[in-house]
Amino acid sequence: MQVGLLRPALALYAALFLLFLYGPMIVLAILSFQSQGGGPQFPIQEWSVYWYKHLLGLAETSRVSQLPVGDSLIRSLVLAFLTTVVSVTLGTMSAEAFRTRFKGSGPVFYLIILGMMVPGVLVGLGVALLSNFLDIGRAWWSTSFVLHVVYTFPFAFLVMLAIFNRFDRSVEEASLSLGVSPAQTFRRVTFPLIFPGVLSAMLFSFTLSYDEFSRTLFTAGADLTLPLAIYGTFSVEIYPNVFAFGVLTTLFSFTLLVIYGLLMKRFTRNKRFAGQEDA
Amino acid sequence: MTTVIEDFPDEPAVSPAATREAKDRRRAFLLLTPGVLWMVLFMLMPLVMVIYVSFWTQSTFAVEPTLTTASWERFLSSPTYLTAIGTTLKTWIIVLLATIVVGYPVALFIGLFVKNRTLQTALLVACVIPFWTSFLIRVIAWRPMLGTEGAINIILLKLGIVSEPLSFLLFSEFSVYVGMTQIYCVFMVGPITFMIARIDDSIIEAARDLGASFGTIFRRIVLPLSLPGVIVGTIFVSVMVLGEFATAASLSGRKVNLLGNIIVSQVGSLKWAFAAVAGVVLTVIITAVITLALRVVDIRKEM
Repeated sequence: MQVGLLRPALALYAALFLLFLYGPMIVLAILSFQSQGGGPQFPIQEWSVYWYKHLLGLAETSRVSQLPVGDSLIRSLVLAFLTTVVSVTLGTMSAEAFRTRFKGSGPVFYLIILGMMVPGVLVGLGVALLSNFLDIGRAWWSTSFVLHVVYTFPFAFLVMLAIFNRFDRSVEEASLSLGVSPAQTFRRVTFPLIFPGVLSAMLFSFTLSYDEFSRTLFTAGADLTLPLAIYGTFSVEIYPNVFAFGVLTTLFSFTLLVIYGLLMKRFTRNKRFAGQEDA
Repeated sequence: MTTVIEDFPDEPAVSPAATREAKDRRRAFLLLTPGVLWMVLFMLMPLVMVIYVSFWTQSTFAVEPTLTTASWERFLSSPTYLTAIGTTLKTWIIVLLATIVVGYPVALFIGLFVKNRTLQTALLVACVIPFWTSFLIRVIAWRPMLGTEGAINIILLKLGIVSEPLSFLLFSEFSVYVGMTQIYCVFMVGPITFMIARIDDSIIEAARDLGASFGTIFRRIVLPLSLPGVIVGTIFVSVMVLGEFATAASLSGRKVNLLGNIIVSQVGSLKWAFAAVAGVVLTVIITAVITLALRVVDIRKEM
């Protein structure tokens, strides 16, 4: 069998693939340390953190206008937080409902899944038209918010569905029939079982909403979210301050990922006491 | 005494199990109501609105709810818009094929050749992590890569492969295809790897024992069993590529106009009815693609 040769060949290919995935980000990260006089390309004239200072408003005034990150960052964080709370709640409730067999579960399933499939530019246009029609003003905390939930709720739902599919309802029933109160049962039995799912659903909802752009474009009104502020710089010439921003926002996403990993690890270490079995 | 005996025959029809089932169903209904309501109000209604407005009357800066097919006629007779449909379909096919061609060998490697579970997970995570970073930043990251003074041209010049920087790399159709392939490849690699990793090793072992070559094993076992993954990936990639506009706006230098770009520019000039027509056309295309793919595989069963 020729597998002997195929294996290293595929390994090399996979390595090249990872280079393809990460290469642009690495180049972007390197160029974010360009000096003040340098352009958004090689060569690096001199290594400096000038563009980071520029981004944070610490640099002396220059011909390049500052990226409007301050207020839009706060808006994006608040929006992501609200979206996370609502979509994890909706996702958990819906997944819990799916533990019972009921008529019409197929259409309902696809209705929810449609939320993550339908193109953002399309629903964004729809919500903009609807709010014009009903004469409701568009704002990031109203029209954009409902669309962000439409987008992230299906992710939360799928994650919770996978969790619920894996654990046996009789565990809860045993607790209830042993006379433990429903509140105690939820705290001691159900919650520890679904916690990893809730955490994953939160991570999904928060990051997706934080980076969401196409659904926000038509629905945010006058006050921009962070991705919209960045999109505004697309049409004009780009400067390394966009790269510096890219590095920082990527680090932020990774921090969330690390926090998630640590929480998850800490939780799974204690899971013996919570009584969870590995599925 | 007699009343007690008489009470019993009244309710034998309702068994405790049936009562419980009815209660469970009521509970399920209550739990689902908020979610379903949210989706109907904020997703279905807006989509219906898009269809409705596509028949409104468009004046210079406003739309009025007087029904007409004027916007449709203008859209379907305009070469600009028809070209946009063609460009959208062409971009979709090319990027879809590219994600399959680029992604499948990677999925094959991770799913079939990496036997160490930890390494397998690590590789998969490495593929998925870019999904966690800002979409717009990933798009913009291609500019310093592909530009005439970009990283690729510098490397090619240094190696003496080209004598002049290649100018077709950026602000062209090429850059849009490359950018989209990189961004959406994850959604192809993930599902395929998932399906390949699920294949029972003993089946492959059995085939090998019976003298099947790797080619035969791949063609007769791995490929058919990985196909649902390809279809799921196809649905993800198709939906995302068809609804795209930011990559084209940022990397094509306005040379590639997708239906998404048409919608954005029409909304920008307050031509809501034309934007709606483009939206409906886009919906029809996407629905057709998904329906076709779902014919081949039932997603719910594969989850």
